[in-house]
Amino acid sequence: MNLQGLLKRSAPTLVWLIGLLIIWQISSWFLLNVLQVPLAQSKLPYIHELVFTFTEYSGTLLYQASITMKSAIIGFAVGTFVGILLAIFMSSSKWIEQLAFPYLVASQMIPILGLAPIVYGIVRDDGVSRIIIAAFMTFFPVVLNTLRGLRSAEPSAVELMHSYAAKPWAVYWKLRFPQSLPSLFTGLKIAAPLSVTGAILVELMGATEGIGVIMLRNLYYGSSHAYMFWLTVIVGALLGFLSYLVISLVERLVTPWQPEFRKSGGDE
Amino acid sequence: MRGKTVEDNWLSQSRSQENPALKSAILKQRQKLSKLGKVSSKILIPLFAGVLFFILWEVQFFHTIFGLKTYQLPLPSVIMEAIRENLNTLVNFMGYTFLEAFLGMLLGSALGYLIALIGSAYPKWGKGGLTIVVAFNAVPIVALGPIMNLWFGNGISSRVAIITVITMATMAVNAHKGMSNVNPLSLDLLHSYAANKVQVFRYLRIANSLPYVFTALKINATASMIGAIVGEFFYASKGLGYLLSNSIKVAQMPLGWACIVIASVVGIVFYLIVEVLEKVFMKWHQSERT
Repeated sequence: MNLQGLLKRSAPTLVWLIGLLIIWQISSWFLLNVLQVPLAQSKLPYIHELVFTFTEYSGTLLYQASITMKSAIIGFAVGTFVGILLAIFMSSSKWIEQLAFPYLVASQMIPILGLAPIVYGIVRDDGVSRIIIAAFMTFFPVVLNTLRGLRSAEPSAVELMHSYAAKPWAVYWKLRFPQSLPSLFTGLKIAAPLSVTGAILVELMGATEGIGVIMLRNLYYGSSHAYMFWLTVIVGALLGFLSYLVISLVERLVTPWQPEFRKSGGDE
Repeated sequence: MRGKTVEDNWLSQSRSQENPALKSAILKQRQKLSKLGKVSSKILIPLFAGVLFFILWEVQFFHTIFGLKTYQLPLPSVIMEAIRENLNTLVNFMGYTFLEAFLGMLLGSALGYLIALIGSAYPKWGKGGLTIVVAFNAVPIVALGPIMNLWFGNGISSRVAIITVITMATMAVNAHKGMSNVNPLSLDLLHSYAANKVQVFRYLRIANSLPYVFTALKINATASMIGAIVGEFFYASKGLGYLLSNSIKVAQMPLGWACIVIASVVGIVFYLIVEVLEKVFMKWHQSERT
């Protein structure tokens, strides 16, 4: 993984990104000066103005973002931990699996994020409900994916372990758990942005601190705060993307043997 | 393909058929046996647990454990009562919310598929574009809400736009995987027939992308409902999400729960419809053959 190769591979992405930003800037100018739509800067602000505003208020923004991120991370950690635990229980006991599996599948079909106001209504504490929602959003993808991973151990490998008279925990530690890592990470990659979404959503419903709170506040202040509002949105989006990137990076470090990380292989 | 089908097909493990590589003949055999023999335990145990759960809820077992009052967590019977009382409103709003979800998902999935087509037709630049689209996938829905509201106003179109953005990303990623994850032998065969790019797409890549497309559609069915409800939380004057957040604000918890129940039912039905469609359109695929 040399630097030049990395640059070469990411060049199209960079070009796309720059192209998008240029289009953004031009459309912003177009909206403001040619079409003269009302609230043009609220609809699509100039990028350079955003950068100015960011340098001015970066302290506040980063502080609030860190609060949001903190509750998202705590929730994510709790959800992941409980999720993995349940997946291990389910894979070790047919009984628990049969009991819980249909509900897990059904949970994928219902809009869980809709529960956010209800949880907030029950707990009435924004710190706790942020964490609960983030954990809740993390929990389901993690259980389902980990369970699939734990089950995906090859039967012949399991038989080999049995023929060595391996203890159940050894089978788990040496075979099933490593085998489940790729799909665990798939689940985590889905869950990480979701946990950020959950945390922001609760903040929008009425918290005192966090990126969602200043997002809402600046939206209500109207067009004079358009830049600040856009910055909060961008920061929120970046938090989601950042969480995804971090998990992808960890995945690459923990499971470098996956085919898609090898030099040749993957889906090309 | 072994071990790495669609990255995002986390929805499909309910149907183990979709992971063709992971199951061997042994597993299939076992499945058949369990289908015949354990069907009762497969249905009865969860059903029993569900009923037990509701009974415990009804007799306020959870309330005593967590120290909750009934106005915080309403009893199932009260929720049912709320559904019956407000049935007209709920059904009306349900239609509205579902319409948003459906339109957004249709638009987003179509756009996503188009992006995937372009992305795999011109791999070098397409992949970079796809990375940008994936970035959209990680953007929190709640951050999109206010912007779409500014662009499209309070009406139905702002929610449709939110859902379009979310569903587009999932579809683009999955369809692209389907189009590039083709069997190399089939590709060689087509090359040996001197098939051109269009023909490769027509006969191989598009057909190969179908299972992935349906996986994406199933994820999108759920995601679009979530998008519609969350989008309605803040700026709507109609819809299940609006009613939900409003009833919580005025402390009418039973009505809020009623919204969740209805939304869940819609979500499940929407999902099942997509699944039936999948069964119809993928009769030829090995995962559907028995």
